[in-house]
Amino acid sequence: MAEKNKSQAAHAHDDQHTQEHFREKHLMLDPLPRGQMNDMVMEAMTSKPTWKYWLTVIILGSIVLYGLGYSWYRLIVEGLGIAGVNRPSYWGIFLVNTVFWIGISHAGTFISAILRVFKAEFRRPFTRIAELMTTFGLVQAGFSIFMHMGRAWLSYWLMPYPNERLLWPNFHSPLSWDLLAITTYLLSSTMYLFLPLIPDLAMARDKSTGWRKTFYRILAIGFRGTEGEWTHLRHAMNIFAYAIIPVMFSVHTIVSWDFAAATRPGWNSTIYGPYFIIGALHSGMGAAAVVLAVVRGTMKNMTYFIRGEHFDAIGKLMLIISMGWAYFYFNDYIVQWYGGDKWTKALLHFHEAGPLGWMWLSMLIVNIAIPWAVLWNSKWRSNPWIISIVGILINVGMWFERYLIVPVSLSINRMPFTWRLYIPAVEVYLSLGTLALFILFYVIASKLIPFIPVWEVQEGQLAHKLSKFGRETVVTVSELE
Amino acid sequence: MTETVNLLAVFPDLEPASDAVEQLRTLGVTDDHMNVISGVPVTEPMLGRPHAWTNVPRIALGGAVLGMSGAFFLIFIVPYLYPYPIQVGPQAYVPGPPSFVILFEITMLGTLLSTFLGVWLESFFPNYRRLPYVPEISDGKIVVFFTCPEASQDKFTKTMTALGAEKVTIAEARQL
Repeated sequence: MAEKNKSQAAHAHDDQHTQEHFREKHLMLDPLPRGQMNDMVMEAMTSKPTWKYWLTVIILGSIVLYGLGYSWYRLIVEGLGIAGVNRPSYWGIFLVNTVFWIGISHAGTFISAILRVFKAEFRRPFTRIAELMTTFGLVQAGFSIFMHMGRAWLSYWLMPYPNERLLWPNFHSPLSWDLLAITTYLLSSTMYLFLPLIPDLAMARDKSTGWRKTFYRILAIGFRGTEGEWTHLRHAMNIFAYAIIPVMFSVHTIVSWDFAAATRPGWNSTIYGPYFIIGALHSGMGAAAVVLAVVRGTMKNMTYFIRGEHFDAIGKLMLIISMGWAYFYFNDYIVQWYGGDKWTKALLHFHEAGPLGWMWLSMLIVNIAIPWAVLWNSKWRSNPWIISIVGILINVGMWFERYLIVPVSLSINRMPFTWRLYIPAVEVYLSLGTLALFILFYVIASKLIPFIPVWEVQEGQLAHKLSKFGRETVVTVSELE
Repeated sequence: MTETVNLLAVFPDLEPASDAVEQLRTLGVTDDHMNVISGVPVTEPMLGRPHAWTNVPRIALGGAVLGMSGAFFLIFIVPYLYPYPIQVGPQAYVPGPPSFVILFEITMLGTLLSTFLGVWLESFFPNYRRLPYVPEISDGKIVVFFTCPEASQDKFTKTMTALGAEKVTIAEARQL
């Protein structure tokens, strides 16, 4: 009898230990009262900014003013001649950045929509941080296109309306498809960001005073949480989650057609659509890991919401995407190499052994070798610092990839007498300006927008519980939606 | 005509709130005269409530049709509006594959814009009028809002309290 009691006590102790282990590891199994979670999110948002915060704002603001303000002003006043673009590389860093920022924007939709459709529960605390990346990234992409246009104030000519000569824009060019695709994606992703934000804005309204109360009251548009409001919201979010995925795929595919539809060596590839998409996801997921690590490390109470399990899950996705990118890159490479076209061979040789050969090699190392060497290990990929370093490196690698595709590939064409290496000029400052603005948007948003979708976290916590299967304790999820 | 009063019963959890819904029905309050307000989406089956109707999918469909019509205009009508038709390479005035791209993008834009608009129309957003509400809802409380005869107010209050309501008050319209 005494032995039986002893054994029962040992089992109870083991159960308790297992439960503590699960609570520590999984946010969904570590619920806090909703009020407390609200307070934690509000505290992170409304706490008095430190000197470090202001210093960051001043530094980023200065870069934005110089890079985007002064340098763009110069570009407008003095013309595109002060940029490095010239024959044969008419497309320079502006379009490298356009492709890069559109790529970054893909992670938001991927995390929010695709993981929502597949009910991947780990997505819950960081969907908003990712969705913000989509909107902020697309703004930078839009700016980069306007810079490339030169006369940015005439960009409305792209809109489908008849001009003074009664000519309508025709839709035969991939560049006009770009306008439609990027506009559709920017509008859709902003609406998709706003819809699930409404209940959190209502929470912020209820918890605020002063100017914040007015600010959130306006943004919460009168949401109370009635059955009808939730029903409409749930249906709309469902439609968005499904419909925005093909839109996301179409955007980067169309961007790839800007290149693939041309008959230039290196560009004329039928695999460019999916290759660009996987590249977009590669850089986007890397950026998401970095943003998540920074938010966790710099904002109050975020260690509760963003845990090792989330980095672990993102790390797995990064590893799979890295493998996918390697597959598509090799597919594109081998067919061009095998084709035997003289100019394509010259271009491939220029990529690998030309003056920017180091860029080509670095691209392969940081996009393939480093993620594969690091992300297979769950301990390493659960570490915010390690995964964010890998994320930064992937983004550097993906930027290199776009640089090789755009100006470097344009340097080599079928007319050797025009060959010339592109050397960027004012574009460098403008690029730094867009990067600084992207970060600045996050820094400002961290004080205005609830980064954690508290209602989604609570919904997830209600659905999760620990169940016993024989002697094993496992996590089970109920389908509440 | 019987005088009525609107009451708000604040529950700490889903279980007592769903019991309250059932009890209210027993006491003669019809589903049209009650509503549940919560800080997380609570589905109708969880509360034993009838399916809530939404027109959002229909509005989305309408938007898709409108978007598609706009795309058809740009694809099929616009090329023939040129005083001097423009030939692009060997392509027809209305080329197949590029037209599909335009058709897809504008249809999707119409669908998503109207879905968003649908939420606003169906929920009467933006709504800055005074409405019955308690801020505790944001903190996870579940509020059952119902209309009952004024003469039975005490009876309803007692019943709700017995079922676990933390607070039962007259629903006052307040500035959110």
